[in-house]
Amino acid sequence: MKTMWTKWTAWTTWILWLSIVIVVTALPESVIASTQIPAKPQDHPIALVGGTIHPVSGADIPNSTIVFDKGKIVALGASVSIPADAEKIDVTGKHVYPGMIDANTAIGLTEIGAVRATNDRSETGPINPNAKAQVAVNPESELIPVARSNGITMVLTDPSGGVISGTSALLCLDGWTWEEMTFKAPVGMHVNWPSMVPRTAWWMQDSEEKQLENRDKALNDIRNAFADARSYMTAKQAEATPGVQYHSFDSRWEAMIPVLEGKLPIIVNADQIQQIQAAVAFAEKEKVKLIICGGYDAPLCADLLKKNNVPVIVDGIHRDPMRNDDPYDAPFTVPDRLRQAGVAYCISGGGEAANVRNLPYHVATAVTYGLPEDEGIKAITLYPAQILGAADRVGSLETGKDATIIVTTGNPLEIPTQVTMEFIQGKKIDLSDKQKMLNEKYKEKYRQMGVGK
Amino acid sequence: MHAFHGRRIHRTFLVFASVAGFTLAMAAETTVPPPGIRENTPAVFALTGVRLVAAPGQVAEKATLVVRDGVITAAGPNVAVPKDARVFDMTGKTVYAGLIDAYTEPPKEAPGQGGGMGMRGDGQGPGTPAPKGGANYWSADIVPQTRADRTYVPDDDLNKKLRGQGITARLLAPAKGIIKGTSVLVTTGEGDGTASIVKDRVALHGKITTSRGFGDGEGYPGSPMGAYSLFRQSFYDADWYRQAWDAYQKDKTLPRPERNDALEALQGYAGGAAPVVIDAGDELYDLRADRIGREFSLNVIIRGSGNEYRRLNEIAATGRPIIVPLNMPDVPKVKTPEEAMAVSLETMMHWDIAPENAGRLDKAGVRIAFTSEGLKDRGEFLGAVRKAVERGLNPDAALKALTVTPATLFGVADRFGTLDVGKAANFIVTDGDLFNKKTKILETWVLGDRFQTDMPPAADVRGTWELKFSESQGANDTVTLSLKGEPAKLSGSITRNRKESKFSSVGLNDTRLGFAFKGDSLTWPGVVRMSATLSGDALLGAGNWADGGAFSWTGKRTAPFAPEPDTAKVTPPEMASFPVNYPLGGFGVAAIPPQPDAVFFQNATVWTSGPQGKLDKASVLVQKGKIAAVGRDLAVPAGAVIVDATGKHLTPGVIDEHSHIATDGGVNESGQTISAEVRIGDFIDPNDITIYRQLAGGVTMAHVLHGSANTIGGQNQIIKLRWGVAPEELKLAGAPEDIKFALGENVKQSNWGDRYNTRYPQTRMGAEQIVRDEFKAGLDYKARWAQWRKDKKGIPPRRDLELDAIVEILDGTRLVHCHAYRQDEMLALMRTFEDFGIRLVTFEHVLEGYKIGLEMAKHGVGGSTFSDWWAYKMEVCDAIPYNGALMHSSGVLVSFNSDSGEMARRLNWEADKAVKYGAVPEEDALKFVTINPAKQLHVDSRVGSIEVGKDADLALWSGPPLSSLSHCEQTWIDGRKYFDRQDDVTRRAENEKMRAALIQKVLKSGDAGDMGGGDKKPKWPREDVFDETFRLSVEGR
Repeated sequence: MKTMWTKWTAWTTWILWLSIVIVVTALPESVIASTQIPAKPQDHPIALVGGTIHPVSGADIPNSTIVFDKGKIVALGASVSIPADAEKIDVTGKHVYPGMIDANTAIGLTEIGAVRATNDRSETGPINPNAKAQVAVNPESELIPVARSNGITMVLTDPSGGVISGTSALLCLDGWTWEEMTFKAPVGMHVNWPSMVPRTAWWMQDSEEKQLENRDKALNDIRNAFADARSYMTAKQAEATPGVQYHSFDSRWEAMIPVLEGKLPIIVNADQIQQIQAAVAFAEKEKVKLIICGGYDAPLCADLLKKNNVPVIVDGIHRDPMRNDDPYDAPFTVPDRLRQAGVAYCISGGGEAANVRNLPYHVATAVTYGLPEDEGIKAITLYPAQILGAADRVGSLETGKDATIIVTTGNPLEIPTQVTMEFIQGKKIDLSDKQKMLNEKYKEKYRQMGVGK
Repeated sequence: MHAFHGRRIHRTFLVFASVAGFTLAMAAETTVPPPGIRENTPAVFALTGVRLVAAPGQVAEKATLVVRDGVITAAGPNVAVPKDARVFDMTGKTVYAGLIDAYTEPPKEAPGQGGGMGMRGDGQGPGTPAPKGGANYWSADIVPQTRADRTYVPDDDLNKKLRGQGITARLLAPAKGIIKGTSVLVTTGEGDGTASIVKDRVALHGKITTSRGFGDGEGYPGSPMGAYSLFRQSFYDADWYRQAWDAYQKDKTLPRPERNDALEALQGYAGGAAPVVIDAGDELYDLRADRIGREFSLNVIIRGSGNEYRRLNEIAATGRPIIVPLNMPDVPKVKTPEEAMAVSLETMMHWDIAPENAGRLDKAGVRIAFTSEGLKDRGEFLGAVRKAVERGLNPDAALKALTVTPATLFGVADRFGTLDVGKAANFIVTDGDLFNKKTKILETWVLGDRFQTDMPPAADVRGTWELKFSESQGANDTVTLSLKGEPAKLSGSITRNRKESKFSSVGLNDTRLGFAFKGDSLTWPGVVRMSATLSGDALLGAGNWADGGAFSWTGKRTAPFAPEPDTAKVTPPEMASFPVNYPLGGFGVAAIPPQPDAVFFQNATVWTSGPQGKLDKASVLVQKGKIAAVGRDLAVPAGAVIVDATGKHLTPGVIDEHSHIATDGGVNESGQTISAEVRIGDFIDPNDITIYRQLAGGVTMAHVLHGSANTIGGQNQIIKLRWGVAPEELKLAGAPEDIKFALGENVKQSNWGDRYNTRYPQTRMGAEQIVRDEFKAGLDYKARWAQWRKDKKGIPPRRDLELDAIVEILDGTRLVHCHAYRQDEMLALMRTFEDFGIRLVTFEHVLEGYKIGLEMAKHGVGGSTFSDWWAYKMEVCDAIPYNGALMHSSGVLVSFNSDSGEMARRLNWEADKAVKYGAVPEEDALKFVTINPAKQLHVDSRVGSIEVGKDADLALWSGPPLSSLSHCEQTWIDGRKYFDRQDDVTRRAENEKMRAALIQKVLKSGDAGDMGGGDKKPKWPREDVFDETFRLSVEGR
């Protein structure tokens, strides 16, 4: 009986999937479309009962209950009153965490790395402060359900081209449109700081001199952009004064105003110590808020970062040491060295699109090589929320915060741990994805061939 | 016509040796008609009173050297001066044999000139059309018929510069191509080739790499691997060519073999009759040059890099002579802490040790000669040799390297290298020990022609002079003149009534002295100018006062010049601070770790990946590198090294089935759609730091694969990660032969950019066909050989290294690992193989393997996949992380690989993803990175599991081996501990200490430069210094 049922669901799942594929393939420009249906807004209270709650902002609470309604957490603890109309879900033996947040991804902007038509992350030209990530996010991306099904509920999606790339958006990984998905935008103005020293690698065609020339050009681009934006801001502000002429609109410098006003941080991609030092000095001079993304050498200038309150998005733990003489585990220990030095940090997954799901395993490596485990969990929940200016609403399980929650079979840093349930702002998420469907589809093939269960 | 041609070749073979040995004697007769009055100045000279260094260590004081018509006719202490000789009294001077510069190239052409292509150092990129005219080899890189003597034009300026360095002869070699042609030995005297060409076709020149340039992926060879293979193939072709013509000579009814100038010119080198100089851009290439030399019994002379000290023992053991360059590393750029971070310990140690390279080679018994090639200015030659002497090279050895050795290597020791009777009158006259910094080369004699390189002034004006003035202004004053300094760089002063004024300018032009000085302190207003003619101890002078008034004066020398005693402190040179480690630089080791007789891993959780499964609280005994016992109640043998593994987990060493580490041959030979002949094994690079980093992730073995740029790529190499060993020792001895195939987007170049749309295949249809076509060609080739071996009739088949590999595939002796993604292409290739009665061993990546698991199992092919990579290109959109589990449950032998130097460091965690996605049992998942890859590589009888008799390749983990929260603590290979996390911490501290010491040494050396001095950029991964020199030389223009 059970076998019959399983067979039936498998069939229907993949027939449904197949039909959608057929419909979709009729529209050649959107071959990529995820089949998971976005959830409807939470319309009744839900109580997850009996699990171990990991609020992240406080101590773990075993055998407890979390109640959320209209997308917000209303109560959590060992003994909470459950509203009469609440849907009670037994999560005994399971673990309840806030959803994980990846603070540097290409989700929605990149689908297939090698296919140019599916890439919307890099605009042409060096200076694009007016480019906004969220407006190009494809909600149908097949990569979204895959990231989501391992507990990544929110991502910062950012542009990456040129020198000033544009602004990023913090997305919830569920919604019918990018507008629904966008949690906060803009989050930061992204800047690629040029390599301050020439690189020596077999693939590098440019000579040292040429590289230095390119560096100086990029540095000038940054300085000039800020200077021009500032003149623009001054001129526009002066328009309020009677008799001052009107200045035509410049979308680039208009987009820079929040940065210059200190309302929007610049998120600077920088790994080398020279880049980080230069970026800090630049931000100090321009009086703008700075976040470093990358941060390989950040522990080497921790004092500087701490003194200037510059947080670091440690972008990827699974990477090679940058220099020949670096310890083999140098990239693994960056977060812990920053923690020990008192620098604010979080961990992101290396600017991924396809494998954002592996974010917790980057953290696991940092933990294996010294970072305390509770810090590791914070580094992909509360800390990114804090650094990205969203900690008032997400990043931990606290009353009044968004009910963006994952339920797992164990420690999410352990690879075999499964995410069994997921809520984004109280919406119950479909945890299936293309890969799970293909898995089922081909299990069916083998069943047809007379093998497998 | 045919007959004539055949005879001609035959004759060439016979006379080859004698032609190569032909030398032009100094002829009294000349073929040149006199241009006017005949010049017949006698050419008989006697240098008397010299210190004669006839040969290294062979010194005669107060000797005489007699030269007649360019030849030494007498030399020694008791030699009579011929009556007809012009005599030079050289008392106090030293005479050495003329120096030989053992390697020079013609001046480099800038890009865009002379057919050069882009940045390519040899000016001859892949795909360059063959030279026009003649009967050429198909590849323009194989041009042994190029003869440097045929295009030799003396360069007067260069010759003058070389003579100034004491160089009387140099080898001039062609610079273009892989087999570049033959060199000529020329003297540095005046006159055209009729006099200065000493010997043609001295040596054949080649290199076993190619320059990296623009247009990669077009033309063959496009990689060092391809260059090595082309070098190898052309020697096989030369052998075939001889046999083919021999057969044709015997039977003219046979089809005439092709005529080929290159293959004719290649005759005679295999077997060692004449030397072959092979470029070695780093120490690994020294060993490669030796290896290919052995393959064809070549008489190899290595043109070294200056890195030889890094593998001194191995290089000395080759017995090959080495032409050593004299250019030294730039001063590391370490002025600021951040700058210093970008300079590796390797670069600093190289700066510190490289000047001792020549001395260490000599001490190790290597025959060396020196080249000026690579120096920014050939005028730095002698100074650089002196530096080598200062840094430990024995002076006699240095002299030998400059004279006897090159003369012997180039087959001209009968005329050059020593000052014996009958030898060419090539010698130098110095004012002291040749290797003393202050010694000057006064004269360089070339073939009996005297060149004064350091012309003494016509007269010496130095000393103290008393002056007399004609005018009343100074007639009665005591005025003295003092002149001192070097004859060419005078200084002096004038003193009047004990008031002195220094000259603002002073100089002697022939016998004319001139000087000027401020006269005010001597009560002569303004600047006074004076001049005089020197005659012995008298000066006859004139002058002008500041107001223009003229006067005359005379001077009389009252005292000769007495040089001030040299009080400068002689500081002994500082030698290298640290011994060479292996590989040089950070984390290098002094020696490979010892192999204890017995090692006992005690009280571990042992994951055997074998029949014993997982054992708690068990022990593993290792004896002499092999696993001797596994179990719960083992006795500890006496004297065993005990590893307490309580609470820890022991597994077989991780095996990475798909890796591209530790090779510097370019990974891909993409110049042809089929390159089955190229071998990763020719380019194993033990210096790759990735080896060490992967040891730290428990990896003990890697399958180093050719890339996926073409359908049939190249031959792969299995290595063990024995950090610190020489390249050959990294290889797994006796490993099965295998090869890489590839399918899909990479081979059809769909991701290469719009330019790449012509190479076959451009579709999966074409990929299927090219393999079939090649297999058919392999069968034909095999049949031709079988026929030939049977009846030995006709023209013998040509040995084709590409088809050799194909035949091995068809015979089942060469295993095929094929890069593939989509199910359709994999199914098609399986069917192709089945049609030829063979089987694939493994599909690599195989991301759609889960779609055809049963088909794969039936064919018997394994799948080596990524745990969860996907969506990076079109053909991987359907990749799923359940792939491993689904293939596994279909009966396919599954492994997880990295294809990444970084990811290989955590393959154990990757294996855990098979537990997550598809619920593969933990022990089976571990097998994905241990015994399963061993089986796919056909080495499972030796490694991959903890079983008695297997190699003790083990990893010790802090916790359960698959857990993302466990890390590797120790890694053992062959019962040797290659990695230990505790030792690693010590090594970090040692590295830091060494860096700090060397940075101080650099800063103290006083010439910490502004530019350069960073880590060198290899053109290929870790290669090519010749290219780099070229880049700098061109950019300098």
